[in-house]
Amino acid sequence: MSLTDRIDPRPPRRIYRWDLDKTYLQTDFDTFRQLVRTALQKAEEKKAVPGAATLIRELKAQGDVRLCIVSGSPTQMRAVLAEKLKLDGVEFDELVLKDNMRNLLRGRFKALRGQVGYKLPVLLESRLNAPTEAEEVLFGDDAEADAFIYSLYADMVSRRVSEPVVHEVLRAAEVYEDDVERILARWKEIPPADPVRRIFINLDRLTPPASFARYGPRVVPVFNYFQASLVLMADGHLTAPSVIKVAVEMVQTAGHNLLTLSNSFQDLLRRGVPLGAVAEALTEALKSPGALLNSMRPVPDILAAFTKRIAALGSPVPPPAAREVDYLSLLDHARPRTHKARTRPSGS
Amino acid sequence: MADPQRPITIAFDVMGSDHGPAELVKGAAALTLDTPNIHALLVGDQAVIGQALSQTRYNAERLAVHHAPTFVAMTEKPSAALEEKPLASIKVAAELVARGDAEALVSAGNTGACVLACARSFKLIPGVKRAALATVYPTQAVHGSKSDPFSLILDVGATVDATADDLVSFAVMGAAYARIISKNPNPTVALLSNGTEAQKGPPRVVEANQRLRSVSGLQFIGNVEGVDIPRGTADVVVCDGFVGNVCLKMLEGVHETVLELAKYAYKEKLLWRAGLAMLSSGFERIKEVTDWEQYGGAPILGFDRLFIKAHGRSKARAIANAGKVAAKAVSNQLAHVIEQGLQAPA
Repeated sequence: MSLTDRIDPRPPRRIYRWDLDKTYLQTDFDTFRQLVRTALQKAEEKKAVPGAATLIRELKAQGDVRLCIVSGSPTQMRAVLAEKLKLDGVEFDELVLKDNMRNLLRGRFKALRGQVGYKLPVLLESRLNAPTEAEEVLFGDDAEADAFIYSLYADMVSRRVSEPVVHEVLRAAEVYEDDVERILARWKEIPPADPVRRIFINLDRLTPPASFARYGPRVVPVFNYFQASLVLMADGHLTAPSVIKVAVEMVQTAGHNLLTLSNSFQDLLRRGVPLGAVAEALTEALKSPGALLNSMRPVPDILAAFTKRIAALGSPVPPPAAREVDYLSLLDHARPRTHKARTRPSGS
Repeated sequence: MADPQRPITIAFDVMGSDHGPAELVKGAAALTLDTPNIHALLVGDQAVIGQALSQTRYNAERLAVHHAPTFVAMTEKPSAALEEKPLASIKVAAELVARGDAEALVSAGNTGACVLACARSFKLIPGVKRAALATVYPTQAVHGSKSDPFSLILDVGATVDATADDLVSFAVMGAAYARIISKNPNPTVALLSNGTEAQKGPPRVVEANQRLRSVSGLQFIGNVEGVDIPRGTADVVVCDGFVGNVCLKMLEGVHETVLELAKYAYKEKLLWRAGLAMLSSGFERIKEVTDWEQYGGAPILGFDRLFIKAHGRSKARAIANAGKVAAKAVSNQLAHVIEQGLQAPA
């Protein structure tokens, strides 16, 4: 055995956890017909959300990074999904899919739609194998309960949430008893830390961003991955050229233009995301020579568009205040979207 | 040629309407969800807009905000208010449109302030001496390929003392608007007068009648009387702003009186009540087809940029429709069509 074989690979500095459907992939499964079509799609027929593939590649390129994918797609789709990710040049470290066949055979019908009882233990188990100091950024969507599950996961690891609250949440989410035990056991094994820096929610359903305010500023709802890349740049995860690459992909493949990008930028400013330094760094990157930027030129127009959107707001909007998440008031979010208690109009 | 894919930005002055900014924001936000080529530029108090946006779904990729700290209230005197408030939302919005940040403007605020702000910021189309405020009125006859149960009346208040020249340009502008918005390729145009004979009416109307007969590309059908407005005899009815405004208010008054009479009848006799109940589905249908909210608002025609004045009581649906009408006019190059119409050889 050579020396290099005996040396452990460098532990990840950062872990990026992604959901697949409606977060990485443009998927429609609201009707049975769409569900069947999604299940039968070949890898090359599946479409990624604009900018998502480039964003992941750029995050991976920063080094010492682990990409963990947790999806509610059935395990039978592993080959197709792995192939799709390969086609997109996305190298993952973990790909966990849902064993719904097993749930079906065991008669665990609530687990077929339930998200909390599936994702939470998977996240905790993955965290158990991660270095305590590794920080995390999570990506989900507004179709199901990602904001709730990711926030709960973050607060469980950091011990900001108490055991009775977790019990209450798991009961409301109708998690099976053995999964409850699994969740609690893993949680207790994880050394306390505060690793989750951001939770991005892709607004596939265009849910108003303010709907996520109760999760605090850690949760950032995004209309596209240009917005996510801007925030990641502000957080020190990406460089300006990486952000520009994400924008270029969106322009070239999804019909985005100066207007949609500058509007997306202003939307974050209106929500109090501090992007002043990001704007300056992007300006410098755009001015520098480079073949990459050719599709984004003319540069003066780009700078003018973004500057105009900043100036249009007058005074800067203050960032939202940090807050504790009151999970008991958000229990409806833990239930599947089709659950009666969740779909019932409030106040009735 | 209209390009349905071309992005079009519509500025919305969201302040100063009867229902407050929330309805305006909601209407503009709705546009960003279901019309991929329309972008909304919301002009008004940023904090107020932010609060309104937090209550509604929108697509941030097609929506931007421009902060304007003040606005002209409905009760204020337009010229004085615009002087005192250089950063009033309507003034800022009109300037943004004038410099090309948006291509048309929608407001449900103070009408006088809107017209004045547009007049100060926009340019008149070559050949147009004065702008006209147009509106639609429900009619018995239907118009255009969409079978709209409305005719277009202009001017209803922008130019009180129109000359014969003005009336001719109003006719060309109204016809161009009907062609584009009502999909009516050859709209009939009439002058409002006190008799159908060509020599009836004040000298400016008689002169306009003579000149309109020789305007090429215009289907001028002569004079019509007030009674022809609700009948829908013409697709476009032309008059000066004084007459138009009096007519419009009178027609609104008649409509309100009929409603009051129906309410009275409902209370007065059981038999009448039964009769009204039997007619209720018919009334609902009439209400549906003559619903002014589907038209969004009244365009001011004659400027190089389009302004749609939405009713002060407009709800989100009317605002969204006003935005759609504005976008349709922009994508079909309304100003250019009007200019061509005015330059057409006799």
